[in-house]
Order: sequence, then structure tokens, then C-alpha cells
Amino acid sequence: MLVASLLIASFVIFAAVYLAPGNPIAALSGGRSLPPSSIAVLEHRYHLDQPFLAQYWYWLSDALHGNLGLSITLRENVSTLIAQRVWTTAGLVLYASLLICVIGIGLGLLSGLRPGRLDTSTLVVTAVSAAIPAFVAAIVLILVFAVQLGWFPALGNGTSLVDNIRHLTLPAVALAISSLAIVARVTRASVREEGEREHVQTAVSRGIPGRQLIQRHILRNAAIPITTVTGITIASLIAVAAVVETAFSLNGLGAYLVQAAESKDLAVVQGISLVLVTAFVVVNVVVDVLYAALDPRVTLGGNR
Amino acid sequence: MARRPHRWAAVAAVTTLALAAAACGRSAPSTGGGGGGSSAGNVSPTKGLVTTSPAGTKPVSSITWAVYRDVNSLDPIYAFDYPENTAVSLMCESLLRQAPDGSLQPGLATLANPNPKTFVFTIKPGAKFWDGHPVTPADVVYGLKRGMDTKLGGFYGQVFTRVSSITATGSDQVTIKLKQPDYWLEGELASIPGVVIEKSVVQQQGKNYGTPSGKIMCTGAYELKSFAPGAGVVATANPDYWQGSTKALVQQITLKGVPDTSTLTSGLLTGGIQGNYAVGIATLDQLEKSTNIKVYQGPGWLTDAFIVSSLKGALGDVRVRRALSMALDRQGIIDSVYRGAALMPRWLSNPGTFGYGKSVFDAAYAKAPVMTQNIAAAKKLVQQAGATGKTITIGTSSQLSDIAAVTGAYQAAAQAIGLNVKLKSVSAQNFINFFIDPKARVGVDGFLTVNYGDYADPAAMLSTLVLPEGSQNYDQFHDPAIIAAMEQARSTADPDKRAALVAKAEQLTAQQLPWIPNVQPTSVLAISKKLTGATVSFAYMFAPWANSLGGTG
Repeated sequence: MLVASLLIASFVIFAAVYLAPGNPIAALSGGRSLPPSSIAVLEHRYHLDQPFLAQYWYWLSDALHGNLGLSITLRENVSTLIAQRVWTTAGLVLYASLLICVIGIGLGLLSGLRPGRLDTSTLVVTAVSAAIPAFVAAIVLILVFAVQLGWFPALGNGTSLVDNIRHLTLPAVALAISSLAIVARVTRASVREEGEREHVQTAVSRGIPGRQLIQRHILRNAAIPITTVTGITIASLIAVAAVVETAFSLNGLGAYLVQAAESKDLAVVQGISLVLVTAFVVVNVVVDVLYAALDPRVTLGGNR
Repeated sequence: MARRPHRWAAVAAVTTLALAAAACGRSAPSTGGGGGGSSAGNVSPTKGLVTTSPAGTKPVSSITWAVYRDVNSLDPIYAFDYPENTAVSLMCESLLRQAPDGSLQPGLATLANPNPKTFVFTIKPGAKFWDGHPVTPADVVYGLKRGMDTKLGGFYGQVFTRVSSITATGSDQVTIKLKQPDYWLEGELASIPGVVIEKSVVQQQGKNYGTPSGKIMCTGAYELKSFAPGAGVVATANPDYWQGSTKALVQQITLKGVPDTSTLTSGLLTGGIQGNYAVGIATLDQLEKSTNIKVYQGPGWLTDAFIVSSLKGALGDVRVRRALSMALDRQGIIDSVYRGAALMPRWLSNPGTFGYGKSVFDAAYAKAPVMTQNIAAAKKLVQQAGATGKTITIGTSSQLSDIAAVTGAYQAAAQAIGLNVKLKSVSAQNFINFFIDPKARVGVDGFLTVNYGDYADPAAMLSTLVLPEGSQNYDQFHDPAIIAAMEQARSTADPDKRAALVAKAEQLTAQQLPWIPNVQPTSVLAISKKLTGATVSFAYMFAPWANSLGGTG
């Protein structure tokens, strides 16, 4: 399944970049007029003078041998370029996922189990923040916490582990904020729903202690919708990361993908896309596995 | 040397810096760094602008300097755009050097001219690479020949068209023999094509030279520490710099690509970024007001112009070109696009490019009329030409806001004098095709550019559009008088006489208008108030710009 997805994705992306406007050679010179002899040499070197299918075949046969090709703008192996950046994106997405799981699910549980003032305010706050797109969040966070208050740096990756975390905090919040709100709301709703089910009411009337009631009867059943939504939102973070990385000038895969697509650096776009598609598929597989663990009725390999 | 549209934005932004007052664009370019602090430093021939900021005095441990995108290569033969030029000029040195005021000075070598067809370069005693190896004639010859080698696909091959041989003629001497005298080559060898790199390192690195995984070997006051795409180019002070009198005060400079304007701005305001040759910034007003940032303006080598790419349509008649030029609201462009940081033109070339024969250039320039708006006269010209009601097609891109804004000014100008305008609008990425693809130019009468040459000489850019073999002469524009003046200038040794010939070519070009000059942008530096000493003029693109950079006292 993964192989098929990758193959189809690689062809579609290759074709899209090929058809998109622009010229990779122009990106090299920043658009100054290059001497025609230089252009001819460079086009030949990168097979740009070949027809579309031949170019794709060159790329595909190299990729099958584990060689993702050469970046035109940097004259460097794509796999090296990806390796240098993958940890930034991975760190950012993990950090944001952590925020979503801990704060999002935590808030949802709290307000689901304890109706009252906290619940109401959570509802209001999450309703607003669910509607904030990542790029707006990034601008506001930079303005408030970097420019005005100076608590966090406005851009860059940082040098040590602690420094890295400090640098990634605002980006992770920007990335997580709307998903976090959605996850909190879904969690709250499903906890409420489970809490009103007959078997829970029966358990309450039988005097089963609160803690056991929540763990066994409410959370276990509410876990499935929560896992679904959390899984989907985390997978989507991988794509949205590009926006956040650009806004914070982070050295990550997403920002590089945008840059490479703009300069029509085909091999780089292909390489990064494959990594992202793989990550997306993997996250979905993990969610499927979790279903099986959470709900005995679901068996792996069978029809859900 | 077509500037990319993007740039445009950049330049405009840069310019934004300038005071609104700058707009006065009368003869005296009053674009003064205004609030920026042009009070200190050398006053350039372009009045009110500074070529450098006052030299730094205190050591500084580490700074981050922004460029508009990541650096792609550190190989000089592939350095053709702002980020690469900024990185190469920071660390590497050329045979000759372009001073911040544009004048040519000895660099790694001194130049003698025993006869008009011979250049003899004598390498300065003690000149050595970062690794301690002395600079030898073999290195120089190898580097120059590498630049000429078309098989490498380098970007500067055409610079050497008049060279017949380059040979080592002594233990510290390199002789260049020419087919014809060529005094433009001096300027090029004071720019990126003249950068000296170490032969053995280039050979050992092969294809990897100048890539992130390869290394480089130059001679400058800053040496390369690391080059990781995304993270940036990191240069550190070279403790054994061969010119002992120059001591780099900043221990480490990281050149980082910051494509996003708001990120760049917040970076500068919060101190995450300490400096930038502000290219592509729309927030310069904000920077100027900041208490952390100082903004300087210097002489630019740049011209913002309309390229007449077809002489077959209505613009084939010089009267129509003149009328269109006369009808253009240049002040409006300076105010709205450049927010004051550009000068009204008198010629096609920016007066910032007067790097030699200054008194001759200045005098000739002062005599030339300022290109102010005169719609009534322009209308009459169009009527005389019988062009009223004819249509011109302008190549543009609505996605490039500055290009679109100037296109709008041209539309208004054309309509005011009885011409119709059709737009051929393409995507931002495809705008470059007007410059490089003849098919894209079919049916287009002209398009916009921000352009520059490689060194401070009006001829550097002019030659690309008025000479028959010029890379930006798109429709065989051919004016014998201009060509004669340019060819003669190229072969004239005496700087004043050469300047007089180039001035003549500029005057004729301003009448014939193969390109219509729009405005002359200035060079803008935004720098942390804790730092000073960087070059302000456009010379930063071609010669070391951070040798005097340091902390403020």
C-alpha cells in the first residue's frame, strides 16, 4: 500500500512541478540573463533538455537505487539535504502533537467531566482558537511574545537542546493551536456522550466509585473518536508545518519544500514529498493499530 | 543582467527606508539617509548618500546577517544573485578591488598596463589563502581560465571575450594579452569574475567546490566555517589575514536566508538578525522608526527601467518612446513604490555608478535634463508620429506588486497621450521568461526590470543593451553613434576621456531610449545600532563589505 501510494504520488508531483510555471535555471541566476552557452550546458547536465517521461524515468530509476538525485540549485545530494532538515520538522510536529495530546485532550476531559465555569470558558476559548489558521497564529505570537515581550526568539533553530526547545516553542504553539482546540472540543463532546449512556448511568446507580467509572466506562469508550480526531490532526500538521516553518524561518522540510517548488528544483520536491507521504501513511497506520488496542472488536487486517 | 522581478520588490522595500523627503528628486539627489544616520561616514558624489558606515571599534562575538533567500553556491563562477554575491564578497577577494565609492583599487594584485593590449598583474607580497599557502600566479591563471571555460556553465564567460591569453610570467606575475584593448575588463576583475581561489583545492574538490558538502579556499578577512543549506553560511574572522592592518572585529557572521518579509522585520526588531542589505522589504518605515535598527542609504548601481523589447510596433518610432518617457509619473513611482528612496533619472544609468572620471561624469550629468513629466509636449509628439490610437503591449505580472505598480504608471502615461495599452500578464515565476525566452517576447513591446552591471561604470549595464552582441539587446537596437562611443570608451586608457565617451553614449541613449529609465534606486543598509562599519553602497555585492564591521564605541 505504501509503495503504491509513493509511486502514484511521485508521478503526480513530478508532473505537477514539471507543468508549473518557472524555470530551474532562472532560479540559479536570480533571473539575470545568463549567456546562452551556460544555459545549454546546465540544461544538458540536469536532463532538462529531455522530454517529460524521460526525465521522470531518470529520476525514478535513480530513486529505486536509493539515489534521490541532485538538487539543481545547490548541486548537492537530495538525501543529504533532507537529512539535515528532517529533525527540525520532526521536532516541531512532535512538540505540537505533544501539546495537542496533553493540553487538548486534558482540557477536553476536564471540561467534559466537570461541567461549570471551566467548561464554559473552555468552550468559548476553543471556539475562537479553532478558527485561527497557523499563519495568523504565527504572526500574533511573534508580535506579542517575541517583539513586545521578548520572551521567545522570533526566528531560527537554536544551538543546544534547551535552546532548540525554546526556539521551537512559539512555532509549536502556532502549529498546534487550532488542532488543539478541535481535539479539546471533540474530547469534551465524546466524554459527555459516554457519560450519559445507559450503562454508565446504571453503573452510577450501582455505586461504582468515580475513578473506576471514568476509567473503565467513560474513557475507554470515548477513546475511539478522540484517537481518530487526534490522529487526523497530527497527520495534517505535517503539511501545515511548511507555513509555520516559513513564518519562523525554521530550517525544516516544509519550508524547504516551498522554496524548492518555487525554484522548480524537481529532485528536492520529489524527495521531500516522498518523506511527507511516508510520514502521513505511517501516522495513519499507527492510528489503526491503536484502534485495535482500544477496541477488541477491531481486528488488524480485517475490515473495520 | 536582467534583474529578477522579485528583486524589484526588494529594492523597493529597501528604498522605503528613505525619508519621504527624499522624494524631491531634483538635480541634487536629496535621498539622504535622513533619519537613517547618513550624518557620519564618507559623503559620496551622489550628495546626501553615504558609501560606508563609520568603522566599528569593539569586538563582537557573533552576528546573523539576512539575505533574501538561502545561499546556493560559494563558487564565484556561479555567483550571480544577491545571496551568492553577498557571501562570496564577504570572504573572497579579487585581483583588483572596488572601493565603496566605486573607484578601482589594487586588490590581491596591482595592475600595470605596459601597452593597451597587455595587463600585467603583480601579486602583492604576503598575499595568502586561509590555509597559509601563498597566492601564486598559477592560482590566478587557473581561476580566470576556469571562469572562461564554457563547459563549466559559469555565468561570466562573456566577460573575457577580448582576452587572447592568460599566462604566468614571473614568480608573482600574471599577464593577460588582449585581442583588442579592453578597459572594461579591469572593472570585471575588481568584481566577482576576478575572485582568486586556490588551484589545488579546486582540483581536489572537483564538482564539489563551493557546494555545501565541498569546501572553498579564498584569501579574505573572513573564512568559511560551515555551509549548511537552511542553517546558513557561517564565516569566522581569519586570524592570519594577509593584510595585517585589517583585523576583523566580528568573530562570526552567519548569513541566513530569510525569504519572508515579516520574519525579516521581526528578526531585525528583536535582535535575532543584526543586519541586512534590505532587499525585498515592505516594512522599512517600521525599521527606520525602531530604536534597535539604523538605516543607511548609499549610492546604488541599480536602474529601474522599461525595456523596449520590440522596435517593430509603435515604440519603434523614437518619438513615441520619448513621448511615453515624458508622460511617465516618475515622482509617483518614487513615492509609492520606493517610498522616496530613489532618484529622478537624467540618464539610463544610476549616478551611483560613476566610479571613475567623476568630475567629467558629474559635469555631464548635471547638464542633462531631469526626466520630469510633461504630458502636453508628449501628446504633441505622439500626434507628430501619427501614433495616436495605436496599441502597445506590456509584459507584466500582476503577482509582482511593484512590477504591477510601475506597469500601472505606464498604462496611465500611455492613455494620457492617446496610446492604448494591452497587458500580457504572466505568473511571477514566468516573468523571467521575458528576459530569456524569445517566444515569451513575441507580441510584447516592452517589459520592466531592475538592472545592474558588475562594477561601478555606467558602461557596465549600458553595454548589454546598446551593443549589437549585448545580452539584453533584444531587438537589434543599433545606433552607430552610441556604438562608436562605447567601443571607443572600451579601448580608452585615460579615465576622464573614457568617462567623456561613456557620458556621450549615455546622453545619446537618453535621447534614443532603447530602454526608458524609470527611477534610480539607492542602496539601503539596515543594521543593528550596536554594529557599524559595513559598506553601504552597492559595492557590497562585489567587494568585502564587513572588513570594518564591529561594535559601536
